[in-house]
Amino acid sequence: MPQIRKKKIREAEIPTASQADLAFLLLLFFLVSTTIDVDTGIGLTLPEYVPPEEQVKVEVSKERIANLLINEAGDILLDNEVVSVGQILPKIKPRIIEKIELPANKKLIVSVKTDANTNYNRYIQALDQVKEAYFEVREEYAQKTWGKRVIDLNEEQMNEIKEKIPIIISIAEPEVVKK
Amino acid sequence: MKFQKKLAKAKQGIPTTSMPDIVFMLLLFFMVTTTLREHDVKVVFNLPEAKAIEKIENKRVVSYIWVGKDGRIQIDDNIVKIDQIQKIMYAKRTDLPSIIVSLRIDKNTKMGLVTDIQQELRKAYCLRINYSSLYKSS
Repeated sequence: MPQIRKKKIREAEIPTASQADLAFLLLLFFLVSTTIDVDTGIGLTLPEYVPPEEQVKVEVSKERIANLLINEAGDILLDNEVVSVGQILPKIKPRIIEKIELPANKKLIVSVKTDANTNYNRYIQALDQVKEAYFEVREEYAQKTWGKRVIDLNEEQMNEIKEKIPIIISIAEPEVVKK
Repeated sequence: MKFQKKLAKAKQGIPTTSMPDIVFMLLLFFMVTTTLREHDVKVVFNLPEAKAIEKIENKRVVSYIWVGKDGRIQIDDNIVKIDQIQKIMYAKRTDLPSIIVSLRIDKNTKMGLVTDIQQELRKAYCLRINYSSLYKSS
């Protein structure tokens, strides 16, 4: 007589032993595709575009402006004086410092003008020097006034420092070349 | 008398049942924080080096413009011409008013081209720019 065997109910289950491996695989994918490199660079705010016919010339006293000209060969002229890249910082820094306490319309303006054939790297080097001069002045001011580093300042102090030492870099309007 | 080695009754081994949970937690963290590589850079460029550089805190508002050694300009995944920049960037700015344009320009580019791009950006009202450069260690 055939034995009637009670059908065993098989347990339905998804095997979970490999779940960890799967998760690791996904994890690795995200690890690899994540961009960790932080974007660094020299920040700048461009002026608004004004069509040439609407441009108004505003007279600014010479005392306020630091003219920085870079020619094709990479020579730098700072206020009609030939300087090397490394000299820009020490020349500009005292001029920023002496204007800390002056009102906003008397702060230093650094005007950067380049030739169409100037090397971009040269321009960045010069701009870097100007920025560094500003950062050093800010750092010193923060240290002197609050005894803190710039990154440790609170919002209020940060606003004050931005007001006292604003970074005004003007990129000269490209000139129309007559052909 | 027979000595029998006493075996510890406690089970040895690290329990692995919760390992998937831990891994999933890590996974979720990475999924949330990841910004995927969006662009396929087609131009070859070497960034300049500078000291006084700042970090861009918010990557999601950054838009890139690449300029390669050969002077080709790339926005998103396309090589574009100078006169197309204004239109493209204006559309981007409308979507994202606080846009920062990161200029990844090869260090041997002529300033004439850079100025042209800047003029286009000004026309498109993308006024916040960033000259992408590497940290110079010295």
